[in-house]
Amino acid sequence: MSINREQRIRQCLEELFQPTDLLLKDQSHLHAGHEGARDGKGHFDVTIVSQAFDGKSRIQRHRMVYAALGGLLESDIHALRIKALTPAERRSSTN
Amino acid sequence: MDINERIEEQLESNQVMLYMKGSPDFPQCGFSGQTVAALKAIGKPFAYVNIFEDPEIREGLKQYSNWPTFPQLYVKGELIGGCDIVIEMFESGELQKLLADIGEN
Repeated sequence: MSINREQRIRQCLEELFQPTDLLLKDQSHLHAGHEGARDGKGHFDVTIVSQAFDGKSRIQRHRMVYAALGGLLESDIHALRIKALTPAERRSSTN
Repeated sequence: MDINERIEEQLESNQVMLYMKGSPDFPQCGFSGQTVAALKAIGKPFAYVNIFEDPEIREGLKQYSNWPTFPQLYVKGELIGGCDIVIEMFESGELQKLLADIGEN
């Protein structure tokens, strides 16, 4: 169940952004029992590196990710932590 | 007053406005809590709305801002972002600059 969910998210992001790097972590276990976990939706952390973010503000990048995920935000995702970088920014970041 | 007018009025009367889950003293979500912590560390005054206590704002703001999640931080009427963006900007010093000319009260 949660593997499918992760795969769906990953697929959406890969199709739209053709990322050079995509790290998706299901953090739902950290939130088990908390109010937002009760509906069965997941907590995810995504780090996505794509040329598509070049020249876009942080707000625009997050909007692009939200738009790409579309209905999954309603059906599968309770919370999503987003780090959206260009390949150049990734190279210059220390971690 | 319709919901968009209410939102606009809140944003016009508060230079720094945080829509969050819970209150600054009792955040009811980790992301809201982290956002409050960054704002408190900078020390400028900010207003907040607890979206759990105002379901109309909770739904209306998502449409208004075209942003699906909370918290949402606004400075001078403009959406700055949610928790991730606020924390990134806090760590890089951009948020401190953005809030530099906000009055002390």
